[in-house]
Amino acid sequence: MSQSFEVDYARIYATIKTGIPILGDLQITETLIVSWIVMIIITGLCIFLTRDLKIENISKRQAFAEMLVETGNNFVRNNTGSNKFDKLIPFVSALFATSVVSNLISLVGLRSPTADLSTEAAWAIVVFIMITATKIKTNGFGGYLKGFTTPIAVMTPFNILSELATPVSMACRHFGNILSGVVIDGLIYWALGLASAALFKLIPGVVGQFLSKIPILGIGLPAVTGVYFDWFSGCMQAFIFCMLTVMYIANAAEES
Amino acid sequence: MQTQDLVTLVPWTFIIQIINLFIQVYFIKKFLFKPINEILEKRKNLADKEITEAREARSEADSLKEQYEDSLTNAHAEAAKIVSDAQKEAENKAETLVREAEQQAAAIKAKATADIEQEKKKAINEAKDEIGGLAMEIAGKVVEKEINESDHRKLIDDFINKVGA
Repeated sequence: MSQSFEVDYARIYATIKTGIPILGDLQITETLIVSWIVMIIITGLCIFLTRDLKIENISKRQAFAEMLVETGNNFVRNNTGSNKFDKLIPFVSALFATSVVSNLISLVGLRSPTADLSTEAAWAIVVFIMITATKIKTNGFGGYLKGFTTPIAVMTPFNILSELATPVSMACRHFGNILSGVVIDGLIYWALGLASAALFKLIPGVVGQFLSKIPILGIGLPAVTGVYFDWFSGCMQAFIFCMLTVMYIANAAEES
Repeated sequence: MQTQDLVTLVPWTFIIQIINLFIQVYFIKKFLFKPINEILEKRKNLADKEITEAREARSEADSLKEQYEDSLTNAHAEAAKIVSDAQKEAENKAETLVREAEQQAAAIKAKATADIEQEKKKAINEAKDEIGGLAMEIAGKVVEKEINESDHRKLIDDFINKVGA
Protein backbone atom coordinates (compact mmCIF):
# COMPACT_ATOMS: atom_id res chain seq x y z
CA MET A 1 0.00 0.00 0.00
CA SER A 2 1.55 3.26 -1.11
CA GLN A 3 1.89 6.00 1.45
CA SER A 4 1.05 8.78 -1.00
CA PHE A 5 -2.44 9.22 -2.45
CA GLU A 6 -2.94 9.16 -6.20
CA VAL A 7 -6.23 10.08 -7.90
CA ASP A 8 -7.58 7.69 -10.52
CA TYR A 9 -6.58 9.48 -13.73
CA ALA A 10 -8.10 8.69 -17.11
CA ARG A 11 -5.73 6.39 -18.94
CA ILE A 12 -4.76 6.98 -22.56
CA TYR A 13 -4.82 3.70 -24.42
CA ALA A 14 -3.69 4.89 -27.81
CA THR A 15 -2.65 8.09 -29.48
CA ILE A 16 -3.33 8.59 -33.17
CA LYS A 17 -1.23 11.32 -34.73
CA THR A 18 -3.45 13.57 -36.80
CA GLY A 19 -1.20 16.55 -37.27
CA ILE A 20 -4.21 18.90 -37.19
CA PRO A 21 -3.32 22.11 -35.38
CA ILE A 22 -5.31 23.14 -32.28
CA LEU A 23 -7.16 19.80 -32.13
CA GLY A 24 -3.93 17.91 -31.67
CA ASP A 25 -3.58 14.17 -31.61
CA LEU A 26 -6.57 11.89 -31.26
CA GLN A 27 -6.28 10.12 -27.94
CA ILE A 28 -8.30 7.02 -27.26
CA THR A 29 -8.80 7.53 -23.56
CA GLU A 30 -10.61 5.60 -20.88
CA THR A 31 -13.32 8.26 -21.11
CA LEU A 32 -14.10 7.37 -24.71
CA ILE A 33 -13.94 3.62 -24.21
CA VAL A 34 -16.26 3.73 -21.20
CA SER A 35 -18.55 6.15 -23.07
CA TRP A 36 -18.96 3.60 -25.80
CA ILE A 37 -19.63 0.90 -23.24
CA VAL A 38 -22.28 3.17 -21.72
CA MET A 39 -23.85 3.71 -25.14
CA ILE A 40 -23.90 -0.01 -25.79
CA ILE A 41 -25.53 -0.62 -22.39
CA ILE A 42 -28.23 1.99 -22.96
CA THR A 43 -28.95 0.98 -26.54
CA GLY A 44 -28.96 -2.70 -25.61
CA LEU A 45 -31.34 -1.97 -22.77
CA CYS A 46 -33.64 -0.06 -25.11
CA ILE A 47 -33.68 -2.92 -27.59
CA PHE A 48 -34.21 -5.46 -24.83
CA LEU A 49 -37.06 -3.49 -23.26
CA THR A 50 -38.94 -2.98 -26.50
CA ARG A 51 -38.84 -6.58 -27.69
CA ASP A 52 -42.18 -8.05 -28.79
CA LEU A 53 -44.37 -5.17 -27.76
CA LYS A 54 -48.05 -5.85 -27.32
CA ILE A 55 -51.11 -3.65 -27.09
CA GLU A 56 -52.84 -5.72 -24.48
CA ASN A 57 -51.68 -8.02 -21.73
CA ILE A 58 -48.24 -6.47 -21.60
CA SER A 59 -45.17 -7.93 -19.92
CA LYS A 60 -43.44 -6.33 -16.95
CA ARG A 61 -40.58 -5.43 -19.26
CA GLN A 62 -42.88 -3.53 -21.59
CA ALA A 63 -44.59 -1.86 -18.65
CA PHE A 64 -41.18 -0.66 -17.48
CA ALA A 65 -40.29 0.62 -20.95
CA GLU A 66 -43.61 2.45 -21.15
CA MET A 67 -43.04 3.89 -17.71
CA LEU A 68 -39.65 5.22 -18.83
CA VAL A 69 -41.16 6.85 -21.90
CA GLU A 70 -44.02 8.32 -19.91
CA THR A 71 -41.61 9.64 -17.31
CA GLY A 72 -39.55 11.30 -20.05
CA ASN A 73 -42.67 12.77 -21.64
CA ASN A 74 -44.00 14.03 -18.33
CA PHE A 75 -40.64 15.43 -17.26
CA VAL A 76 -40.31 17.62 -20.34
CA ARG A 77 -44.01 18.50 -20.56
CA ASN A 78 -44.38 19.40 -16.90
CA ASN A 79 -41.24 21.50 -16.78
CA THR A 80 -42.02 23.41 -19.96
CA GLY A 81 -45.74 23.49 -19.28
CA SER A 82 -46.72 22.59 -22.82
CA ASN A 83 -46.33 20.10 -25.66
CA LYS A 84 -44.25 22.57 -27.68
CA PHE A 85 -40.98 20.90 -26.76
CA ASP A 86 -41.89 17.29 -27.47
CA LYS A 87 -38.97 17.14 -29.91
CA LEU A 88 -36.67 17.62 -26.95
CA ILE A 89 -37.87 14.51 -25.16
CA PRO A 90 -35.48 12.01 -26.80
CA PHE A 91 -32.59 14.45 -26.39
CA VAL A 92 -33.26 15.04 -22.70
CA SER A 93 -33.85 11.33 -22.15
CA ALA A 94 -30.61 10.42 -23.90
CA LEU A 95 -28.78 13.05 -21.86
CA PHE A 96 -30.25 11.74 -18.62
CA ALA A 97 -29.67 8.09 -19.44
CA THR A 98 -26.08 8.69 -20.56
CA SER A 99 -25.39 10.81 -17.51
CA VAL A 100 -26.86 8.36 -15.00
CA VAL A 101 -25.26 5.29 -16.52
CA SER A 102 -21.93 7.12 -16.87
CA ASN A 103 -22.06 8.21 -13.25
CA LEU A 104 -23.06 4.81 -11.91
CA ILE A 105 -20.67 2.80 -14.03
CA SER A 106 -17.99 3.68 -11.51
CA LEU A 107 -19.76 1.16 -9.24
CA VAL A 108 -18.46 -1.72 -11.35
CA GLY A 109 -14.94 -0.37 -11.21
CA LEU A 110 -14.79 1.51 -14.52
CA ARG A 111 -13.84 5.17 -14.59
CA SER A 112 -16.89 7.37 -15.17
CA PRO A 113 -16.74 9.25 -18.47
CA THR A 114 -18.38 12.06 -16.55
CA ALA A 115 -15.24 12.36 -14.43
CA ASP A 116 -13.69 13.94 -17.52
CA LEU A 117 -14.51 17.61 -18.09
CA SER A 118 -14.51 17.09 -21.88
CA THR A 119 -17.68 15.02 -21.62
CA GLU A 120 -19.68 17.56 -19.66
CA ALA A 121 -18.28 20.40 -21.75
CA ALA A 122 -19.50 18.63 -24.88
CA TRP A 123 -23.00 18.24 -23.44
CA ALA A 124 -23.09 21.78 -22.09
CA ILE A 125 -22.03 23.22 -25.44
CA VAL A 126 -24.78 21.28 -27.22
CA VAL A 127 -27.31 22.59 -24.70
CA PHE A 128 -25.92 26.11 -25.01
CA ILE A 129 -26.26 26.00 -28.79
CA MET A 130 -29.84 24.77 -28.40
CA ILE A 131 -30.66 27.58 -25.97
CA THR A 132 -29.15 30.18 -28.29
CA ALA A 133 -30.91 28.70 -31.32
CA THR A 134 -34.22 28.78 -29.48
CA LYS A 135 -33.66 32.40 -28.47
CA ILE A 136 -32.84 33.42 -32.04
CA LYS A 137 -35.83 31.51 -33.35
CA THR A 138 -38.14 33.19 -30.83
CA ASN A 139 -36.94 36.77 -31.07
CA GLY A 140 -35.06 36.90 -34.36
CA PHE A 141 -31.35 37.55 -34.56
CA GLY A 142 -31.77 41.29 -33.89
CA GLY A 143 -33.98 40.61 -30.92
CA TYR A 144 -31.44 38.11 -29.60
CA LEU A 145 -28.64 40.69 -29.79
CA LYS A 146 -30.86 43.38 -28.33
CA GLY A 147 -31.57 41.07 -25.42
CA PHE A 148 -28.01 41.63 -24.21
CA THR A 149 -28.54 45.36 -23.74
CA THR A 150 -31.43 44.98 -21.33
CA PRO A 151 -32.27 46.57 -19.04
CA ILE A 152 -29.62 49.19 -19.95
CA ALA A 153 -26.78 49.19 -22.45
CA VAL A 154 -24.17 49.31 -19.70
CA MET A 155 -25.21 45.82 -18.66
CA THR A 156 -24.09 44.31 -21.99
CA PRO A 157 -20.75 42.87 -20.80
CA PHE A 158 -22.38 41.36 -17.74
CA ASN A 159 -25.16 39.87 -19.84
CA ILE A 160 -22.65 38.30 -22.19
CA LEU A 161 -20.74 37.00 -19.22
CA SER A 162 -23.84 35.51 -17.64
CA GLU A 163 -24.80 33.98 -20.97
CA LEU A 164 -21.42 32.32 -21.26
CA ALA A 165 -21.55 31.30 -17.62
CA THR A 166 -24.52 29.06 -18.33
CA PRO A 167 -22.65 26.25 -20.13
CA VAL A 168 -19.56 26.69 -17.98
CA SER A 169 -21.53 26.36 -14.76
CA MET A 170 -23.55 23.43 -16.07
CA ALA A 171 -20.45 21.54 -17.14
CA CYS A 172 -18.42 22.34 -14.06
CA ARG A 173 -21.23 21.56 -11.62
CA HIS A 174 -21.70 18.08 -13.03
CA PHE A 175 -18.00 17.42 -13.47
CA GLY A 176 -17.12 18.70 -10.01
CA ASN A 177 -19.65 16.51 -8.29
CA ILE A 178 -18.60 13.36 -10.07
CA LEU A 179 -14.90 14.09 -9.74
CA SER A 180 -15.33 14.76 -6.05
CA GLY A 181 -17.01 11.38 -5.77
CA VAL A 182 -14.08 9.75 -7.53
CA VAL A 183 -11.56 11.57 -5.32
CA ILE A 184 -13.42 10.84 -2.10
CA ASP A 185 -13.96 7.20 -2.99
CA GLY A 186 -10.24 6.95 -3.79
CA LEU A 187 -9.36 8.67 -0.52
CA ILE A 188 -11.61 6.39 1.52
CA TYR A 189 -10.14 3.26 -0.06
CA TRP A 190 -6.62 4.59 0.42
CA ALA A 191 -7.21 5.56 4.04
CA LEU A 192 -8.94 2.28 4.86
CA GLY A 193 -6.09 0.39 3.19
CA LEU A 194 -3.54 2.26 5.29
CA ALA A 195 -5.60 1.69 8.42
CA SER A 196 -6.01 -2.02 7.85
CA ALA A 197 -2.31 -2.38 7.00
CA ALA A 198 -1.39 -0.63 10.26
CA LEU A 199 -3.94 -2.66 12.24
CA PHE A 200 -2.99 -6.12 10.98
CA LYS A 201 0.74 -5.42 11.25
CA LEU A 202 0.15 -5.66 14.99
CA ILE A 203 -0.38 -9.40 14.53
CA PRO A 204 3.06 -10.94 14.83
CA GLY A 205 4.61 -13.30 12.37
CA VAL A 206 3.72 -14.32 8.82
CA VAL A 207 -0.04 -14.08 9.38
CA GLY A 208 0.19 -10.37 10.21
CA GLN A 209 2.48 -9.75 7.23
CA PHE A 210 0.03 -11.48 4.91
CA LEU A 211 -3.15 -9.87 6.32
CA SER A 212 -1.62 -6.39 6.34
CA LYS A 213 -1.31 -6.55 2.54
CA ILE A 214 -5.10 -7.02 2.14
CA PRO A 215 -7.24 -3.89 2.75
CA ILE A 216 -9.78 -5.79 4.84
CA LEU A 217 -11.28 -2.60 6.30
CA GLY A 218 -12.10 -1.57 2.73
CA ILE A 219 -15.05 -3.97 2.82
CA GLY A 220 -18.31 -2.38 3.92
CA LEU A 221 -17.72 1.29 4.64
CA PRO A 222 -17.16 2.36 1.00
CA ALA A 223 -20.51 0.81 0.13
CA VAL A 224 -22.18 3.08 2.68
CA THR A 225 -20.39 6.26 1.57
CA GLY A 226 -20.98 5.16 -2.03
CA VAL A 227 -24.73 5.49 -1.48
CA TYR A 228 -24.24 9.23 -1.31
CA PHE A 229 -21.16 9.88 -3.45
CA ASP A 230 -22.05 7.50 -6.27
CA TRP A 231 -25.76 6.73 -6.19
CA PHE A 232 -27.28 9.95 -4.89
CA SER A 233 -24.80 12.36 -6.39
CA GLY A 234 -24.80 10.51 -9.71
CA CYS A 235 -28.58 10.50 -10.09
CA MET A 236 -28.93 14.02 -8.70
CA GLN A 237 -26.41 15.56 -11.09
CA ALA A 238 -28.00 13.84 -14.09
CA PHE A 239 -31.39 15.12 -12.97
CA ILE A 240 -30.10 18.66 -12.38
CA PHE A 241 -28.36 18.76 -15.75
CA CYS A 242 -31.51 17.67 -17.57
CA MET A 243 -33.72 19.94 -15.50
CA LEU A 244 -31.53 22.94 -16.31
CA THR A 245 -31.48 22.00 -19.98
CA VAL A 246 -35.26 21.91 -20.15
CA MET A 247 -35.71 25.05 -18.07
CA TYR A 248 -33.19 27.11 -20.04
CA ILE A 249 -34.69 26.09 -23.36
CA ALA A 250 -38.24 26.71 -22.17
CA ASN A 251 -37.21 30.13 -20.85
CA ALA A 252 -35.45 30.92 -24.11
CA ALA A 253 -38.68 30.25 -25.99
CA GLU A 254 -40.68 32.55 -23.70
CA GLU A 255 -38.58 35.71 -23.93
CA SER A 256 -40.32 38.57 -25.63
CA MET B 1 0.57 3.75 -19.15
CA GLN B 2 0.02 7.36 -20.04
CA THR B 3 -2.73 9.24 -18.26
CA GLN B 4 -4.40 12.53 -18.99
CA ASP B 5 -4.64 15.43 -16.55
CA LEU B 6 -7.38 15.38 -13.97
CA VAL B 7 -9.05 18.60 -15.12
CA THR B 8 -8.50 19.17 -18.77
CA LEU B 9 -10.36 19.79 -21.99
CA VAL B 10 -9.25 17.44 -24.73
CA PRO B 11 -10.53 18.73 -28.09
CA TRP B 12 -10.95 15.31 -29.72
CA THR B 13 -12.68 13.81 -26.71
CA PHE B 14 -14.92 16.87 -26.66
CA ILE B 15 -15.88 16.43 -30.32
CA ILE B 16 -16.34 12.70 -30.05
CA GLN B 17 -18.53 13.11 -26.98
CA ILE B 18 -20.79 15.52 -28.89
CA ILE B 19 -21.09 12.96 -31.68
CA ASN B 20 -21.65 10.20 -29.10
CA LEU B 21 -24.48 12.21 -27.54
CA PHE B 22 -26.25 12.59 -30.87
CA ILE B 23 -25.76 8.93 -31.73
CA GLN B 24 -27.27 8.10 -28.35
CA VAL B 25 -30.19 10.44 -29.01
CA TYR B 26 -30.78 8.70 -32.34
CA PHE B 27 -30.61 5.24 -30.79
CA ILE B 28 -32.90 6.12 -27.91
CA LYS B 29 -35.35 7.65 -30.35
CA LYS B 30 -35.23 4.67 -32.66
CA PHE B 31 -35.20 1.84 -30.15
CA LEU B 32 -37.21 3.22 -27.24
CA PHE B 33 -39.39 6.18 -28.09
CA LYS B 34 -40.55 5.20 -31.55
CA PRO B 35 -41.79 1.69 -30.75
CA ILE B 36 -43.22 2.63 -27.35
CA ASN B 37 -44.97 5.73 -28.64
CA GLU B 38 -46.40 3.69 -31.50
CA ILE B 39 -47.73 1.13 -29.05
CA LEU B 40 -49.16 3.83 -26.80
CA GLU B 41 -50.82 5.47 -29.78
CA LYS B 42 -52.27 2.15 -30.90
CA ARG B 43 -53.56 1.43 -27.44
CA LYS B 44 -55.11 4.88 -27.23
CA ASN B 45 -56.86 4.36 -30.55
CA LEU B 46 -58.08 0.98 -29.41
CA ALA B 47 -59.40 2.40 -26.16
CA ASP B 48 -61.09 5.26 -28.02
CA LYS B 49 -62.66 2.78 -30.41
CA GLU B 50 -63.89 0.63 -27.59
CA ILE B 51 -65.37 3.58 -25.76
CA THR B 52 -67.17 4.72 -28.90
CA GLU B 53 -68.45 1.21 -29.48
CA ALA B 54 -69.60 0.90 -25.89
CA ARG B 55 -71.43 4.21 -26.18
CA GLU B 56 -73.11 3.09 -29.36
CA ALA B 57 -74.09 -0.21 -27.81
CA ARG B 58 -75.52 1.60 -24.81
CA SER B 59 -77.61 3.98 -26.87
CA GLU B 60 -78.83 1.06 -28.91
CA ALA B 61 -79.73 -0.83 -25.76
CA ASP B 62 -81.52 2.25 -24.44
CA SER B 63 -83.59 2.57 -27.58
CA LEU B 64 -84.36 -1.12 -27.53
CA LYS B 65 -85.41 -0.87 -23.91
CA GLU B 66 -87.70 2.02 -24.73
CA GLN B 67 -89.15 0.04 -27.58
CA TYR B 68 -89.73 -2.95 -25.35
CA GLU B 69 -91.31 -0.83 -22.69
CA ASP B 70 -93.58 0.73 -25.29
CA SER B 71 -94.60 -2.61 -26.71
CA LEU B 72 -95.08 -3.96 -23.21
CA THR B 73 -97.39 -1.10 -22.33
CA ASN B 74 -99.21 -1.64 -25.62
CA ALA B 75 -99.50 -5.31 -24.90
CA HIS B 76 -100.96 -4.60 -21.48
CA ALA B 77 -103.48 -2.22 -22.97
CA GLU B 78 -104.31 -4.66 -25.69
CA ALA B 79 -104.76 -7.49 -23.24
CA ALA B 80 -107.06 -5.36 -21.14
CA LYS B 81 -109.01 -4.42 -24.24
CA ILE B 82 -109.29 -8.01 -25.33
CA VAL B 83 -110.52 -9.06 -21.93
CA SER B 84 -113.06 -6.27 -21.74
CA ASP B 85 -114.18 -6.98 -25.32
CA ALA B 86 -114.59 -10.61 -24.50
CA GLN B 87 -116.53 -9.74 -21.38
CA LYS B 88 -118.79 -7.40 -23.26
CA GLU B 89 -119.34 -9.92 -26.00
CA ALA B 90 -120.06 -12.62 -23.49
CA GLU B 91 -122.53 -10.38 -21.73
CA ASN B 92 -124.19 -9.49 -24.98
CA LYS B 93 -124.39 -13.10 -25.98
CA ALA B 94 -125.78 -14.09 -22.65
CA GLU B 95 -128.36 -11.36 -22.83
CA THR B 96 -129.31 -12.33 -26.33
CA LEU B 97 -129.58 -15.93 -25.31
CA VAL B 98 -131.75 -15.09 -22.36
CA ARG B 99 -133.94 -12.85 -24.43
CA GLU B 100 -134.28 -15.42 -27.15
CA ALA B 101 -135.09 -18.03 -24.60
CA GLU B 102 -137.68 -15.77 -23.06
CA GLN B 103 -139.17 -15.03 -26.44
CA GLN B 104 -139.16 -18.66 -27.33
CA ALA B 105 -140.78 -19.51 -24.07
CA ALA B 106 -143.36 -16.82 -24.59
CA ALA B 107 -144.04 -18.06 -28.10
CA ILE B 108 -144.36 -21.63 -26.90
CA LYS B 109 -146.63 -20.50 -24.15
CA ALA B 110 -148.79 -18.48 -26.53
CA LYS B 111 -148.93 -21.34 -28.98
CA ALA B 112 -149.82 -23.74 -26.21
CA THR B 113 -152.53 -21.41 -25.00
CA ALA B 114 -153.89 -21.06 -28.53
CA ASP B 115 -153.78 -24.79 -29.05
CA ILE B 116 -155.57 -25.38 -25.80
CA GLU B 117 -158.18 -22.83 -26.74
CA GLN B 118 -158.66 -24.39 -30.12
CA GLU B 119 -158.84 -27.87 -28.68
CA LYS B 120 -161.32 -26.63 -26.19
CA LYS B 121 -163.48 -25.06 -28.88
CA LYS B 122 -163.14 -28.17 -30.98
CA ALA B 123 -164.10 -30.34 -28.07
CA ILE B 124 -167.00 -28.11 -27.22
CA ASN B 125 -168.22 -28.16 -30.82
CA GLU B 126 -167.81 -31.88 -30.97
CA ALA B 127 -169.65 -32.23 -27.74
CA LYS B 128 -172.36 -29.91 -29.08
CA ASP B 129 -172.71 -32.03 -32.18
CA GLU B 130 -172.75 -35.23 -30.18
CA ILE B 131 -175.19 -33.92 -27.67
CA GLY B 132 -177.38 -32.55 -30.48
CA GLY B 133 -177.34 -35.89 -32.29
CA LEU B 134 -178.00 -37.78 -29.11
CA ALA B 135 -180.81 -35.54 -28.10
CA MET B 136 -182.41 -35.82 -31.50
CA GLU B 137 -182.11 -39.55 -31.42
CA ILE B 138 -183.49 -39.73 -27.93
CA ALA B 139 -186.23 -37.36 -28.74
CA GLY B 140 -187.11 -39.28 -31.90
CA LYS B 141 -187.25 -42.51 -30.03
CA VAL B 142 -189.17 -41.10 -27.10
CA VAL B 143 -191.71 -39.07 -28.92
CA GLU B 144 -191.98 -41.32 -31.94
CA LYS B 145 -193.63 -38.50 -33.59
CA GLU B 146 -193.03 -37.29 -36.99
CA ILE B 147 -191.32 -34.00 -36.77
CA ASN B 148 -189.92 -31.90 -39.38
CA GLU B 149 -186.26 -32.42 -39.37
CA SER B 150 -185.36 -28.74 -39.60
CA ASP B 151 -187.79 -27.70 -36.92
CA HIS B 152 -186.41 -30.35 -34.77
CA ARG B 153 -182.84 -29.20 -35.28
CA LYS B 154 -183.79 -25.65 -34.45
CA LEU B 155 -185.42 -26.78 -31.27
CA ILE B 156 -182.34 -28.77 -30.25
CA ASP B 157 -179.95 -25.95 -31.01
CA ASP B 158 -182.00 -23.63 -28.89
CA PHE B 159 -181.86 -26.12 -26.14
CA ILE B 160 -178.14 -26.65 -26.39
CA ASN B 161 -177.54 -22.92 -26.46
CA LYS B 162 -179.55 -22.50 -23.37
CA VAL B 163 -177.65 -25.29 -21.71
CA GLY B 164 -174.08 -24.72 -23.10
CA ALA B 165 -173.71 -21.02 -22.87
